Amino acid sequence: MAPAAERSDSTATPHWRQRLRTASLSSRVMVGSAVLALLVAAAFGVLLYAVSTLDDATKRERHAKTVTAATLQLEKLVVDLETGLRGYVLSRQPAALEPWRNARAQLPEKLRAFERLASTTAQQTRRARNLVTQINEYLNDYSIPVVDLVRASPAVSRTQTVRQEGFFRVSEIRRQFARFLDAENALTAHRTSSAQSWSDRAIALAVFGLVASAILIGGFGLYLARSIAEPVREVSGGAARLAGGDLGTRLVPHGPGEVQELTQAFNDMAERLERGRRELEAQNEKLRESERAKSELVSVVAHELRTPLASVLGFTSVLLQRDLSREEQRQYLGIIDAQGRRLAALVNDFLDVERLEEGKVVLAQELVDMGRIVREQTELFAGQSPHHLLDVSLPETPLAVRGDANRLAQVVANLLSNAIKYSPRGGVVRVAGDREGSNVRVSVADQGIGIPEEVQKEIFGKFVRGHATANGIEGSGLGLTISRSLVEAHRGHIDFESTSGKGSTFWFELPVAVPD
Amino acid sequence: MRRSFRILAAAGALAILAGVVGWTSAAGTGPATIRIVERQFGYTRVDVGRHGLSPGDSEIITSRLFNKRVTQKPIGSGRFICTFTNGLNRTCIATIGLPKGQLVATGAVRFREFYNLAVVGGTGLYDNARGTLTVIRTTRKPARDILLFRLAG
Repeated sequence: MAPAAERSDSTATPHWRQRLRTASLSSRVMVGSAVLALLVAAAFGVLLYAVSTLDDATKRERHAKTVTAATLQLEKLVVDLETGLRGYVLSRQPAALEPWRNARAQLPEKLRAFERLASTTAQQTRRARNLVTQINEYLNDYSIPVVDLVRASPAVSRTQTVRQEGFFRVSEIRRQFARFLDAENALTAHRTSSAQSWSDRAIALAVFGLVASAILIGGFGLYLARSIAEPVREVSGGAARLAGGDLGTRLVPHGPGEVQELTQAFNDMAERLERGRRELEAQNEKLRESERAKSELVSVVAHELRTPLASVLGFTSVLLQRDLSREEQRQYLGIIDAQGRRLAALVNDFLDVERLEEGKVVLAQELVDMGRIVREQTELFAGQSPHHLLDVSLPETPLAVRGDANRLAQVVANLLSNAIKYSPRGGVVRVAGDREGSNVRVSVADQGIGIPEEVQKEIFGKFVRGHATANGIEGSGLGLTISRSLVEAHRGHIDFESTSGKGSTFWFELPVAVPD
Repeated sequence: MRRSFRILAAAGALAILAGVVGWTSAAGTGPATIRIVERQFGYTRVDVGRHGLSPGDSEIITSRLFNKRVTQKPIGSGRFICTFTNGLNRTCIATIGLPKGQLVATGAVRFREFYNLAVVGGTGLYDNARGTLTVIRTTRKPARDILLFRLAG
């Protein structure tokens, strides 16, 4: 069990630390501010308590002084009563009784004030009541009867018994006063000492709290500076490197949540910039390629157009300047016608490529017998070259596909034309058509010069002619491009096999037409 | 030897305890001051010997006792029996009946307006009481006195 508990602890702690590490900056600031606010509030609370305690102690001290003053005034009245009575007893002169009378007149009010002021503690209240009772008893049970005795029986009033009683009672009252004052002073001293002690402790606590708050505020500021400034400096450095062209710059996300988000956003931005640059470079490469192809196109087009055009212009000039026999005129006009047709075919090829690339070619969707098309095209080409033997192999049943008959015928014508052109020494051109599974396959195989291996990969590209130009073979280099586009537009597939110097076999497959 | 010491110690402790209990019961009220207002309602003069005030004459005074702080009704009664000895001097025995016992005081009296008596004993709560009784007359007619017992124990 114990190891399980340890494992649980060891997995819980990193999770807790992880949460602490990834806590957002705002939540950290809020928690830190709350702690600081609590600490400062506690420090000020303690200070307020100290001030109020001191204030309370001051009030109590002032009250104690008032109580002491009232007590002393009352004691003085008692002394006045006693001395006035003694003087009257001894002298029997009414004037001697004046202090007694004054004291007696003031006594009720002073007693009430004393009793009210002295009610600070239960013990002092009891002592004060006891004193008031004793004073009242002294006045009513002794002093007033003795004054009456002086008038009625002067001899009685001067007896030892009377004097002793007076002395005894006043002494007792004065002892009570002394005890009361001692207790009051002790109480005040205790309260003052307690208040001072509390005040000292509170001030020490408050000073400690304020110093701790100041340290914490400084630490918090340092923490904030490190939490924000340092990662921001890193991001700034990364941005500078990025601006300097180092698009591979990446930052390690760390610090509070927002800073991590900033770092992540920076990395995303750098990633997008790098990807954008790669795409731009690729586009530039494509543009360069396109520019190169365009230049090549212009060169090829100029060359291809110039050759037949030169023939047309040359033979036209000969016809215009010389007197030729009718036979020669017919021969030259034939050449001009052929070159004109070649020019027209070239222009048509250019237009076809453009339309196919732009998807502007509209294909008919009719039922077509590929066998018939192959047969017709083979017959057309069979008479063009006496050095080639066109061997056709077709099944008896129709090879039905769905598509545009003219365009499919164009594909077959291109393949046949290439097979003848690239077999300059003649030979057999085998043309076959058959059904293979769900496709109709047409192939044209020659025994010509073949295609060099290095050109094979791009043989379907525009204006790619391999070594044809070097070998003096005419052509635009667009036939295969057009053928592939047309086959693919019919949801078919075109490919080839070739060995340089031994010949090539081009074939294409189209889906068998499904009857309606 | 050790056993004898234990017995002695136990006996000593018992003796101390008995002493404390005895002292406590002797001082039933403890040191106290009792203030009572006495209102005289009966006075009898017994004239013996030659006519007029002469040694041996006696006076018997009965009174009701009040403590107005507690109740308006009488809380007890007082009986003073004084025997004249020489002129106005007399020897008095006062028996003060209170709700929880009686107090007995005796002594010489010259002036009835203000005199002291020795408290010599009592019954009930005041069993074995000792102290002083001070009597102060506050009004002549009707005769009212303050009885102030200062009991020592």
